[in-house]
Amino acid sequence: MALTGRTALLAAIGALVVGLLLPGWSGILAVEGILLFGILYDLALAAPVRKLLITRTGDTSVRQGDAVEVHLTITNPANRLLRARLRDAWPPSSWQPGTEVAASRHRLTIPAGERRRVTTRLHPTRRGDRTADRITVRSLGPLGLAGRQGSHRVPWTVRVLPPFTSRKHLPSRLARLRELDGRTSLLVRGQGTEFDSLREYIPGDDTRSIDWRATARRGSVAVRTWRPERDRHILIVLDTGRTSAGRVGDAPRLDAAMDAALLLAVLAARAGDRVDLLAYDRRIRASVQGHHAKDILSALVNAMAPLEPELIESDAPGLVATVLQRAPHRSLVVLLTGLDAAPIEEGLLPVLPQLSRRHEVLIASVADPRIQELAEGRGTVDAVYAAAAAEQARNERLRTAQRLSRHGVTVIDAHPADIAPALADAYLALKAAGRL
Amino acid sequence: MTTTSPPETNTPAEPAGGPTPPTANSPTARQLWTRSRALLAALLALLVFGAIYAYAVMQSDQNHNALDPASPDPWGSRAVAQLLAGQGVTTKVVTTTDQAAAAAGPDTTLLVAVPDLLTGHQQSALHKATERSGGRTVLLSPTPASIGTLAPGVDALNTASVRVRSPGCGLPAARRAGNATTGGIAYTVSAANADSCYLSGTHPTLVRLPAGNGGDTVVLGAYDPLQNEYLDQQGNASLALQLLGAHPKLVWYLPSLNDTTALDGGQQSFLDLVPSGWDWALLQLFVAALIAALWRARRLGPVVAERLPVAVRAAEATEGRARLYRRARARGRAAEALRAATRRRLAPLVGIPPSQADEPDALAPAVSALMPDPTIDVRTLLHGPPPSDDAALLRLADDLDALERSILAKERYANP
Repeated sequence: MALTGRTALLAAIGALVVGLLLPGWSGILAVEGILLFGILYDLALAAPVRKLLITRTGDTSVRQGDAVEVHLTITNPANRLLRARLRDAWPPSSWQPGTEVAASRHRLTIPAGERRRVTTRLHPTRRGDRTADRITVRSLGPLGLAGRQGSHRVPWTVRVLPPFTSRKHLPSRLARLRELDGRTSLLVRGQGTEFDSLREYIPGDDTRSIDWRATARRGSVAVRTWRPERDRHILIVLDTGRTSAGRVGDAPRLDAAMDAALLLAVLAARAGDRVDLLAYDRRIRASVQGHHAKDILSALVNAMAPLEPELIESDAPGLVATVLQRAPHRSLVVLLTGLDAAPIEEGLLPVLPQLSRRHEVLIASVADPRIQELAEGRGTVDAVYAAAAAEQARNERLRTAQRLSRHGVTVIDAHPADIAPALADAYLALKAAGRL
Repeated sequence: MTTTSPPETNTPAEPAGGPTPPTANSPTARQLWTRSRALLAALLALLVFGAIYAYAVMQSDQNHNALDPASPDPWGSRAVAQLLAGQGVTTKVVTTTDQAAAAAGPDTTLLVAVPDLLTGHQQSALHKATERSGGRTVLLSPTPASIGTLAPGVDALNTASVRVRSPGCGLPAARRAGNATTGGIAYTVSAANADSCYLSGTHPTLVRLPAGNGGDTVVLGAYDPLQNEYLDQQGNASLALQLLGAHPKLVWYLPSLNDTTALDGGQQSFLDLVPSGWDWALLQLFVAALIAALWRARRLGPVVAERLPVAVRAAEATEGRARLYRRARARGRAAEALRAATRRRLAPLVGIPPSQADEPDALAPAVSALMPDPTIDVRTLLHGPPPSDDAALLRLADDLDALERSILAKERYANP
């Protein structure tokens, strides 16, 4: 049961009646009696809420930052007109702050036996799964004084995918990749190239690349050409432990790492490499394996969408063991983790040789622009002490990175805005150098 | 293979006209009853106990106050009331000035227990009633707040310790009682034929003022002789019986706060100011406010909760370290961190490998060679002792910045 503002207004007007016409208990009782009668009449004649039939349709996934529509179809099986207010409740992060009330409330008028459709527009602010909460309907009586209220549960889940903002860097990196392809489709054989094809000798070609056996077979001089290696295996490992939880700017480190991983995966898939994903802290949180280049992006974003940083220390030996099991042959292992001194020195460094012996390892870490801001602070005593602390932190990070590099590991330490292109560039550089 | 599967809970919409599973989530009447019966039982129990308590409170009309003739407490006065009853004196307790004034008469003793509680309006009303009544009025420890109106001719002077004193006067009651626990307040008497007894120094703590028509007013500085605790000591009982038992009727006036005569006529409550009839409208407005509260309090479904992501900023540890440096005045460490950063950045610019950046003999000469400025001591700047105070630290930071800038500018100029 629910009352309306109209009831309160009538009661306030009733005060005038009592004051002017009927001061005393009789007036109070008369006004209250009339109100009570109206409320009971409304309650009796309001369309029942429990009998409503509600179904949902609509989109099931959306990229973060985009809007999505979910439709409700409400059937009124009773033989009375339904006048109702409806709230389609979703978790608060399903809407931009401040718009949730307007977006979740609907006004309904459904004649007896008919059905209507209302559309709830979601605009999620965070990644992950959004599960619909209950639908609450307040069915008002003919006088509008009171109504019946009840809820329905119609489950629906909208998956909010990572925004992949770094895709704006994709065209330039693809151009670089093509350039690489074109340049190395050449006669020089070397590390990281594989046999491409035989073609006619053109004056100017290196005579060392003439394939004499093919020349003898063909009757004309043929040279061998080479192209960059293809079908390399790349395993992207997301560390979802506590170091990924720290907020850098507005989002946790993990989100920037995901963005970088997506750009790398798309680029590598275009370059003909196989990409797998592993998200790990003390156990496997998400895993993508053996997908084709066509559907790798959707597989990755679906796997990443519900990932949240866990507030536990990552298990580096377990992580290395899992990686070795997943990648039995030589691969590029891209580890997106933090560069904090303690977890690296106690966790990763002792087990890193196992990994770097078999695989090419690339460690990428999201740096905090706030540290740079602090390091540039001058003028006040506080600012200089903060600058000193920030420089100390940067020195430590650098030392950690150097210790990792000594194991033959490529280390990338970049701000959230730069980490995705920096990782893509590092991949292209490794590819150009034939180190995959 | 994807271990995190796409959402599966989404049920596709049924085709038009098809059966739809009921989705209602609101409880049925039976569920409502099951859920709320414990609450109803608790409410019922509360009502029953409340009623029992209210009944008990209404039954016990004994006020356990100090100087109450019905109270057996050490501070009560039941003993003296019972002694008086044995002497054939009837005791009547009144709580309003109107009752007390009406009861005053030639065969009546009026005891005013706490005269200071009376407002000026009440005091003058009471005095007007007792002045010509011909009975006795006993005032217990009145202070200047009340004595001027109730007993003209007597004035309160100062406080006096309560102890056993001898009568020292010709008042028969005092002479017969002998020593008694008196004191409290000492008075000065300006009236001609007053009896002044139980002196504190030269000032009496018991004063009897005879009135013209056979009545009198007794001012007693301490109320201790009337209390149960002290009644059996010295001559207290005798003094109390003689002061209160002079007439066959005793009116015991205990001033209370709900006495409407306390209002001096000018003060009125808010409801008195509302025109008649409209207080009912106010009641109705109150009902309207209640309905409005009910209307606003009923939400359209409960608040939805969700798990929030961690909100720890990654730089928090660094900021904490900065505050620690500041609090510990760790100028040496801070300066070394700033110098190490500058050395790290300068080394590649002047052609020194990073491994030798921290060696004074490698970096400082290279930097000086690139920038032959005699005013700057590069070695002290890059490897010198810790600054002596905060101002020196600030200067050091600025000097390091200036050095870096000039080297950078030189490098740019050399290799544009």
